[in-house]
Amino acid sequence: MSASWKQILFQILLLVSCRYINTKTPGPTPPPLVPITSLPTDERSVILEGESHTEKVELLNPVNLALACTWTGNQNKQPNITGFWRKDGDEVENSQVTVQLEGDQYKLKRVFSIVSEESLGSYSCVFGSEEAKIEFVLAAPQIGEVRDKPIVSYVGDSGVIACKMDETKPKPITWNWYKANGTDKEQIFAVAEPPRHVIKNEERKTKLVVYNLTEADGGLYYCGAVYAISTTMSHVELKVISFQEPLKPFIAILIEVIVLVAGILLYERCQSKKDYTAGNGTIEQTNTMTQGENNGPEEGSSVRQRKV
Amino acid sequence: MVTCIWHASTRDEIKGLKAGSSCCEAATASYNNKAHSLTITVSGNIRAGGSNMPPSAATKVGHTPPDGGWGWAVVFGSFISIGFSYAFPKSLTIYFKEIQEYFSVSYSEIAWLSSVMLASMYAGGPVSSVLVNRFGSRPVVMVGGLMVSAGMVLASFGQTIMHLYLCVGVIGGLGLALNLQPALTIIGTYFKVKRPMANGLAMAGSPVILFTLAPLNQFLFDSFGWRGSFLILGAIVLNCCVAGALMRPVNSNTQPKIELPERNRAAAVEAAASDTSEQSADLLTGENQDESKRQGCLHTFIDLSLFKHRGFLIYLIGNVVMFFGFFAPVVFMAPYAKHQGIDEYSAAFLLSIFALVDMFVRPATGFIGNTKWIRPRIQYFFSFAVSFNGVCHLLCPLLPGYTGLVVYAVIFGFGFGMVCALLFEVLMDLVGAHRFSSAVGLVTIIECGPVLLGPPLSGALVDIYGEYKYMYYACGVIMLVPGIYFFIMHYFNYKKLDEEQRQSVAVGLRPCEEAVKLKMSQDGNSAHETDG
Repeated sequence: MSASWKQILFQILLLVSCRYINTKTPGPTPPPLVPITSLPTDERSVILEGESHTEKVELLNPVNLALACTWTGNQNKQPNITGFWRKDGDEVENSQVTVQLEGDQYKLKRVFSIVSEESLGSYSCVFGSEEAKIEFVLAAPQIGEVRDKPIVSYVGDSGVIACKMDETKPKPITWNWYKANGTDKEQIFAVAEPPRHVIKNEERKTKLVVYNLTEADGGLYYCGAVYAISTTMSHVELKVISFQEPLKPFIAILIEVIVLVAGILLYERCQSKKDYTAGNGTIEQTNTMTQGENNGPEEGSSVRQRKV
Repeated sequence: MVTCIWHASTRDEIKGLKAGSSCCEAATASYNNKAHSLTITVSGNIRAGGSNMPPSAATKVGHTPPDGGWGWAVVFGSFISIGFSYAFPKSLTIYFKEIQEYFSVSYSEIAWLSSVMLASMYAGGPVSSVLVNRFGSRPVVMVGGLMVSAGMVLASFGQTIMHLYLCVGVIGGLGLALNLQPALTIIGTYFKVKRPMANGLAMAGSPVILFTLAPLNQFLFDSFGWRGSFLILGAIVLNCCVAGALMRPVNSNTQPKIELPERNRAAAVEAAASDTSEQSADLLTGENQDESKRQGCLHTFIDLSLFKHRGFLIYLIGNVVMFFGFFAPVVFMAPYAKHQGIDEYSAAFLLSIFALVDMFVRPATGFIGNTKWIRPRIQYFFSFAVSFNGVCHLLCPLLPGYTGLVVYAVIFGFGFGMVCALLFEVLMDLVGAHRFSSAVGLVTIIECGPVLLGPPLSGALVDIYGEYKYMYYACGVIMLVPGIYFFIMHYFNYKKLDEEQRQSVAVGLRPCEEAVKLKMSQDGNSAHETDG
């Protein structure tokens, strides 16, 4: 009889200790939770009455964007219609749904997680078999003024390239500069010694100064406005020429001027010689004939001048 | 025509008459060999005679202006010089944006470059006048061209904005001043009868050269950047030296015109008649002449006695007020259009329309000013032009839309062209070609103030009220008041000048008669000489 009591006691003891053991054993670590719900949410909706429409959406930060399409339908308003979503031409998986006609309209809505540059692009909602389409173009703020003509600078001089974001658009976090190297873009970093590239950033403007230019410094430069969601690029071309280039037209025009001036002065000298020899003969004649008439006003005018 | 006949018995007596008496030298004399008589004819500019020349004009340059021939080549030279003087500062504004970025300066600092250049150009007026009075037009224009060229070439190597102010602003501006004055002066020496036409043609240089320089500058800027463009502009501006080479001084080549054909004799008589009027004014103001001689050193360089000249003072006061509102509407035309919501290219097109109309109106105005109805009373034509501008600016804000602005640009082009074409012609008409170079020097330095202050003051008006229409009303009033002032003052001035002329003819005849009587009584018993 004492043995059964001991057995029960032992079992109870075991149970209690096992429980403790159970809680102490490390189980498999749970996977870290993706914070989908911590992104802000935003919505864009478009009501379509025709066949297609394009809407531009400007985004700065990662966001959960709900895109809502409302279509008023066409002549034959079917009670049900298929609708699906497309991103950059490719159909989004599992996006095809059947849309009910509610109050004379078809509504399609989907939430997209826009987190990085890849998420940006063109999103389209399509009703039926291409009967109606609304396109949402998602992009970071674009740089409006793109200078199409190159900036010309000289070898040994410094070149200044500037980029500007419109006053109406939100200001970027910072600016980056890249130089085109073949098909790649190489970022430019301002090196302290010797100062070769200097980047001056000012909220909506940025300036890249390149000192001691060489022919190799010519080419395409890219300025990137950095936003949380992506970087928008704009390009400017820098052309580096030597000082002989403008010197050629300068010397050509100089020669033209010298030739013309010399020509005019020589022509004048030839003419005056001719007039002098021709005039000498006539002067003597006229002097005798019209001495009275001529000398009168002339002497008078000299007298007048003396008075003044 | 007033004819007086004196009879003189000897040749010496005739010479004595001519040298001694002041009026008779202005007369044509014909010696009748057989009758031993000398007929001296003095024609006065009294209404009955009818003359094509304005009463106040005086040549006093010691020769008869050729009115043609090489004069047209000189007009072409003046066309180029005047064109560069006015158009060059305006056309440089294309480079401002890139220079501003290159030197990292603010917009107002770069706009100072234009102001410094314009200020130098106007302040250099008296310097230019002094040099022209001393050396003549040709060397001054050539030196001016070289100066601007040197300024631009030096500027192309500039390292600081101060460097640009000095080279382009001061040196360039001074060079342009040395171009402007001589070009205007030499027209007065070459033309008298056709002078308004010549002036109108020469002043047309400004819009034409601006029209060519604007796209040229854009092309240079795209190909060579601002440094290379300044270098090449330095060469282009050397063409002013070519213009200077054309400005042959009038006396060196031409002989004094001999009044053999009847036509020329009539012209000489008329020229003589107008000389009489100016001369009579001198007789009346003889005291003033003595005073001016006492001014001495300064007077040999520049004619400060002009400040006592009635016509000059009228012109100066009217112009000083007018220039406050003259250039501002041009400067603000494009911004006003943009303010109305018109896009940048259409706004720039308005300026092109304005320049095109201006280009054709200037020679046309010169031609009209030359007609026999307008020429004698050309001051009224100028007053009309100024008032026309005033009325145009008062009505401008009332015209709606883009079409309204185009109509305004056309009408403004008319007004601006008329005033510019006549601006220096009326000054020449008032003071005469001999004193013109001093007059224009004094006028430009005094006008320097209004010209520079006008646009910023108008800009301040726009900023205060936020609207452009008050600025246009102000400019309209500022131009209308001098217009009316000119009408009134010149009415009185013409009356006084006509009076003075009538008096001078009467005064001039009296000493003549006395001198002749004296001589006749002295030589009453001398033998007659026979002439071979």
